[in-house]
Amino acid sequence: MTTFARIAFPLGLLLIAACASSEAPAKQLAESEAAVRAAKEVGADRDPQGALYLKMARDRMEKAEALSRDGEDEQAKRLLEQAEADAELAVALAREREAEGGASQAAQQLESLQQ
Amino acid sequence: MTFSMLTRNNPTLVIAACALSAALGACGSSAPSQQLVDARRAYNDAAASSAARYTPDDLLTARQALEKAEKAHDDDARSEDEVHLAYLAARKAQIAKAKGEIAEARKAEEQAKAMYQAQLERAATESQSNLAKAANELESEREARTEAELQKQQADRRAAAALQGLREVVEIQQDQRGTVITLTGGLLFGSGKSEVSPNARVRLDQLGDVLAQQPVDKPIQVVGHTDDTGSESTNERLSEKRAQAVADQLIARGIDSERITVEGRGEAEPIASNDTAEGRATNRRVEIILGTAGEAPGMTGEMPPAQRPGMGSSPGTMPQMDEPASGSPAAPDDRSNPQQPPMPGD
Repeated sequence: MTTFARIAFPLGLLLIAACASSEAPAKQLAESEAAVRAAKEVGADRDPQGALYLKMARDRMEKAEALSRDGEDEQAKRLLEQAEADAELAVALAREREAEGGASQAAQQLESLQQ
Repeated sequence: MTFSMLTRNNPTLVIAACALSAALGACGSSAPSQQLVDARRAYNDAAASSAARYTPDDLLTARQALEKAEKAHDDDARSEDEVHLAYLAARKAQIAKAKGEIAEARKAEEQAKAMYQAQLERAATESQSNLAKAANELESEREARTEAELQKQQADRRAAAALQGLREVVEIQQDQRGTVITLTGGLLFGSGKSEVSPNARVRLDQLGDVLAQQPVDKPIQVVGHTDDTGSESTNERLSEKRAQAVADQLIARGIDSERITVEGRGEAEPIASNDTAEGRATNRRVEIILGTAGEAPGMTGEMPPAQRPGMGSSPGTMPQMDEPASGSPAAPDDRSNPQQPPMPGD
């Protein structure tokens, strides 16, 4: 058993440190929900790529909820963080599509004047 | 148990080996998780995109996230930490790239709009300067016209002033025929003569100068008259000769002969009594009629000889006319010469 203890000891330290910083996933849940809301507000639903990442975010939040119910707070918190990142990407992609639309519209307007 | 949590996704053997390696500080060479591979690729994508130029802060955040994942990998290859941090790093890189694209698109939009605006303004300025040019042309045209009008007015005033000055030496009247300048024969001719006397020549030259100043489109009609001394036919010829003598003098003074028509009316139109020498001298006269512009003179004032009581018409004695229009007799009721006194009995 001494070998196992030698392996487990540093690992245990590492994980304890990680767990201490995660407290409860409630705060992370709120942040993820806010990110998903923001994505919906900028119309990520209507952008194919944005919708894809928004769905990934929602799926992860559902999974996190299940894990949280099972007491797997650490796993739940990670999934919620990932969901937040997914939703943030959905926001950026939706905004990118919008900006590109504006740019091509302005280019067309300019072109129409030059003809 | 923390160990069971770790081993949920990874084979125990690998974890055990890695944990051992980590403990020994030599785990860096282990294969990275798929998430870390994805994160590295996403970061390289972002670094090569417009994010490097437009959103370096976001790119730096992505880099730091990737470094954390790499460190987790170095500490504990394929650990849940590595997978999780790599996942987040990949998203950060994707977000940085998207933000770079957003910034680039917005900048392109701004530039296109600025160019659009500049072209609109250039077009507006161009059309404005075209308008100004057209307005300038109109204005200078108008000025030229005004200048021409002013010059014409000045010429007309000079002509009128010259006529006015002539009033002191000759009789000038206005009637329907136009301006009638009457040169009394007492000054011009002796009885029965048709040569212009030297004294009269000076006066005629004066008159010629004035007429030369009048607008060129005004025709000049020279009409000779006699007293009743001698036969009618002689007087007709004499009056015509007198008119011709005056016309010649005017032409010699520079009046265009095309403007002048000559006519002799004999003794038919006296303006004073032929009973006295003074009256006869008055009747011996030449009238110079300055017509209104564009119209042959004498058209309205002419009296056909046939209309005169006690006078036989003699078409042979009609003055020769260059222009048929001025030679045709006017309407019978068009007797409008106000100078016409009652006809003497004889």
